[in-house]
Amino acid sequence: MNEPRTISSGVKRNHIDLPVLIAILTLMVLSLGVVYSASATWAMQRFGESSRMISLHALRVLLGIVALFVGMAIDYTKLKRITKLTLVVSVVLLFVTLIFGGEMKGASRWLRFGGFGFQPSELAKIALLFHLSTLIAAKGELIKDFKRGFIPMMIWIIGVTMLVLIQPNFSTGFMILSLGLIMLFVSRARMLHLVGVSLVSLPLLVGYLVSAEYRLERVRSFLEGGLSGGGMSYQLYQGIIGFGNGGLIGVGPGESRQRDLFLPESYGDFVFSIVGEEYGLIGTLFFMSLFLVIMLRGFKIAKHAPDRFSQLIAIAITSMVTLYALVNAGVTLGVLPTTGLPMPFVSYGGSSLLFTSFAVGVLLNISARTDLHPRASVLPEGTMPLEPLEKKVRIT
Amino acid sequence: MAEPPPHTVSSDPPQTANRPDGRVLVLKLFFLVFFVIVAGRLVQVQLLEAPKYQTIAKKQHEQTFALPPVRGSMFDRHGNVLVSNSMFVSLAADPKMVGQSADRIATRFSRVFGKPRSYYLERLRATTNGGTKRRFVWLERRVTPELGRKIEADRLDGIVVINEAKRLYHYDELASSLLGLTDVDNNGIAGLETQFNELLKGKSGSVTMQRDGFGRARPSADYPRVDPVDGDDIILTIDLAYQAIAEEELKKGIEKNKADGGIVIMLDPRSGAILAMANQPSMNPNAVGLSPSNIPRNRALTDVFEPGSLFKIVTTASAYEYKLINPGRRYNAEGGKYRVFLGGNQYRLITDTKEYDVLTFQEGFEVSSNIVMAKASEIIGAEKLYRQARDMGFGIPTGIELPGEVRGRLKKPHEWSKTTLNSLSYGYEISCTPLQMVVAYSAIANKGILMKPSILAEVRKKSGDIAYAQTPQKIRRVVSEETAALLAEAMEGVVERGTGTEVKTSSVRIGGKTGTSRRIVDGRYVRDSHTASFVGYFPLEDPQIVCLVMLDNPRTIGYYGGITAGPVFRRIAERIVQTSARFSGQRTVVAARKNEGPTVPDLRNLQPAIATKILEGNGLGYEVFGSGEIVVKQSPNPGTRIEAGAMVHLVLNVEGSAPSKGSLVVPDVRGMSVRRAINRLVVDDFDVSVQGSGIVRHQVPPPMSEVAPGSKIRLQCEPRSTLSAALY
Repeated sequence: MNEPRTISSGVKRNHIDLPVLIAILTLMVLSLGVVYSASATWAMQRFGESSRMISLHALRVLLGIVALFVGMAIDYTKLKRITKLTLVVSVVLLFVTLIFGGEMKGASRWLRFGGFGFQPSELAKIALLFHLSTLIAAKGELIKDFKRGFIPMMIWIIGVTMLVLIQPNFSTGFMILSLGLIMLFVSRARMLHLVGVSLVSLPLLVGYLVSAEYRLERVRSFLEGGLSGGGMSYQLYQGIIGFGNGGLIGVGPGESRQRDLFLPESYGDFVFSIVGEEYGLIGTLFFMSLFLVIMLRGFKIAKHAPDRFSQLIAIAITSMVTLYALVNAGVTLGVLPTTGLPMPFVSYGGSSLLFTSFAVGVLLNISARTDLHPRASVLPEGTMPLEPLEKKVRIT
Repeated sequence: MAEPPPHTVSSDPPQTANRPDGRVLVLKLFFLVFFVIVAGRLVQVQLLEAPKYQTIAKKQHEQTFALPPVRGSMFDRHGNVLVSNSMFVSLAADPKMVGQSADRIATRFSRVFGKPRSYYLERLRATTNGGTKRRFVWLERRVTPELGRKIEADRLDGIVVINEAKRLYHYDELASSLLGLTDVDNNGIAGLETQFNELLKGKSGSVTMQRDGFGRARPSADYPRVDPVDGDDIILTIDLAYQAIAEEELKKGIEKNKADGGIVIMLDPRSGAILAMANQPSMNPNAVGLSPSNIPRNRALTDVFEPGSLFKIVTTASAYEYKLINPGRRYNAEGGKYRVFLGGNQYRLITDTKEYDVLTFQEGFEVSSNIVMAKASEIIGAEKLYRQARDMGFGIPTGIELPGEVRGRLKKPHEWSKTTLNSLSYGYEISCTPLQMVVAYSAIANKGILMKPSILAEVRKKSGDIAYAQTPQKIRRVVSEETAALLAEAMEGVVERGTGTEVKTSSVRIGGKTGTSRRIVDGRYVRDSHTASFVGYFPLEDPQIVCLVMLDNPRTIGYYGGITAGPVFRRIAERIVQTSARFSGQRTVVAARKNEGPTVPDLRNLQPAIATKILEGNGLGYEVFGSGEIVVKQSPNPGTRIEAGAMVHLVLNVEGSAPSKGSLVVPDVRGMSVRRAINRLVVDDFDVSVQGSGIVRHQVPPPMSEVAPGSKIRLQCEPRSTLSAALY
């Protein structure tokens, strides 16, 4: 019996994972409303036109959806061959950014081409995660070897992290390091190595943290103020007021007051506070549950991934989206020190949305290559549908 | 690939792909815990602590501004504005919001207000002690609304425009101790401003604004605007012209006598309405930086004095009322020195200022003999004298609508010593306010009926509705009509033959009484210092005005009331009586306002400054001819109804020589424009004919000639300039 669903060629596919797709699209669509409300007053203040930022954001969401479909359409398995090149290119771009990059709030994070700017760190993050997946899939059990398995991967992780940290961009650097270590962790690198690296990098990270006054201040205010509000920074305090003002059901769409220049970055890193204010606890829990869906489905897709590379990429992407969402929520709620991270698919901002959308597209792509949602039509006549299939897969 | 197991998903099967992976599970668990923490924190902030944050949010999102009401105005009985408000605009800045526009703002302000740019820049860059930018600095305070609008129109960043109302006292010092003052918050702190504060101030409204994070406010649709209720207008019984006359003459009297100060009170005995109440020294309530401590009190009712001879009216009244003494009863005046034995070797010496041997009772009153009064008091007795004094209002506050009134002290008979009966008969061992004294005299003037003094005529809502109208309040009959007539006779005698001959005038019959007493300041006698006074009323046959004049410590021509306060009283009476229209008694309490055109007020006998202000207050223009300090003629005549904005022509006293009776002096109109010349001549009812145009060159009859009223005056005129003439 020749199996029609043998998809090593990448031609034959099953259905993609609908819950993930719906969750992503829901987040994107809701972000249009939330960002519009959150940015209107600031846009008016800065550009004299309340719709200036939302129109740009809408364009980016459209581009994000395009990137999502690109990720879904391509034969991602072929990416294996270019992950190294992409990573090298993005490292070069990081260097270029350090030298020529546009300054913003004292950091060189941007590269501009014509009218568009993008953050190479976002590209580097995706490139690193894909390349690590390639490496881990290729090395197999060799990963347990310190010299030949662990070190080469650490060099990439540390290298990219360092380049991002000295921009300086602590938050993205920290996320890259975290995601890199998560990859090593799930690839069953020796815990000894991981703990060792952590012990070495922790003092370095702390040293970096205190090297800049504003970062130190953020940590200090977090440690001192904690959740009481006493030592909170203005932005965080205003963010919390936003959440609290929303209460259970929120003040209603477009009715946020905190966006009226009280909450800085109300459309960006602190957009979740505006969600909380306008849609209340119900809204925030709904948003978080969308991310929960993405995480649970993502891990399920990974579990059913057709190969090791796909599985690692699925884990990487799922972890990335989930971690960003959780850290962002944690920061805006004051359970983590303030740091500038966007909420995936929701916050205003281009590069992150574009690359994350592409990455999630790849995740959906992988889901179509699992047997989670088999195509009814491709089943030969008389074959049993879904239920037995799943059981049989489990047996293997 | 012989027998691939069915449904294997990959040709390159990862040995580990589908089996449970412990580390992924750990990762998943880690995320799940993180989710729970976030959800827990959300519940904490959005559910448990929500009320707290909602309160904070409300506080920072909303700002409620008070909308101040317009404080009510005060008018005199003819509707002349005495006190109203002028709007000012104050400009402030929020230096933090100004930011980069500081230069532009400083330039603009400098151009509008004329101060150097650096003045504004310094303020705009002002920092607190901590070095952070201040959030509020004044740039200009209380500028005119026109200037304020110029700035407002520019819509400069961070500039705050604040409307501020300032109380405007139209006649500066005039009636200042009566009207009082308000503080910066527009609350009354003295005088009528305090007394009627609740009526005048109105009710604040409020508007809730939505604020943004930069502190800017915009109207919030969620809260209704509560409009302020403007304060009521108060119409006083005061007659602005009388008040002006009283103040002028009081000032002159004080100057002439080098007195420390003085008081004039005028009231209408028939109604108790206060017509004027003047205090010297006074202050200008429009001056800045007045504090309650340097506002003079309205001493007419806040301070007491020992009335001295003025009180003899009470002694005499009781003597007549109880029919105990006839006016003609003769007394031994003891040659001016009367010893009253108090038992044992002790005696008390009562003296008169002049030595008389025999005086009738009425003569005793007229020449103000203490000895006659003391002897009369023995006949009257304590009980009756006390009752008469009490009935006439001594020892009891009058209840006038003014703050700070004191009651004075009238001892009850059982508190009296051996000397009290005698002392009281000529006005010692008693204290009263000037107001109590003038009210007591007004009862005699009103044929024996005491009226409650009042200064409030009407309270009007801003809508024009009358909220309250005062009606005269009878208190009691204090003497019979018969007694009142006898007393009037005696009081006329004072003016005709007695101590008050200085008051005598050909214009009107006056009755009154002089008074001189040792001065009390803060409850103690002051050495060699006297209070000189005269209280009287006119016209004697139909009393319309009771007036008290009091001078503190006069010291040039003597200290007797008759020679110091008397002349002041006379001049006031003459000036008031001279204007018969004003004195006809036909006045309505409040002149017609607004609806029809204004009525020309009577300005004669007023100072030109006051007269022109009254005209401005009535919305009329004016033209003043001649120089001098008193308006002698006016055109149109008082009471004429004219259009708003029309001209009233005033002629002052020093213009030419005084005409003899029944004829007029032709004024010099040469050099005036034809229009001005005609205006001037029409005032005197001349018939004018004009030849030519431009400037008056010749006039027939010539200036200063005396002609009969209504004579024809011919004017020859030439064009304005020789240059323009040459062009023809």
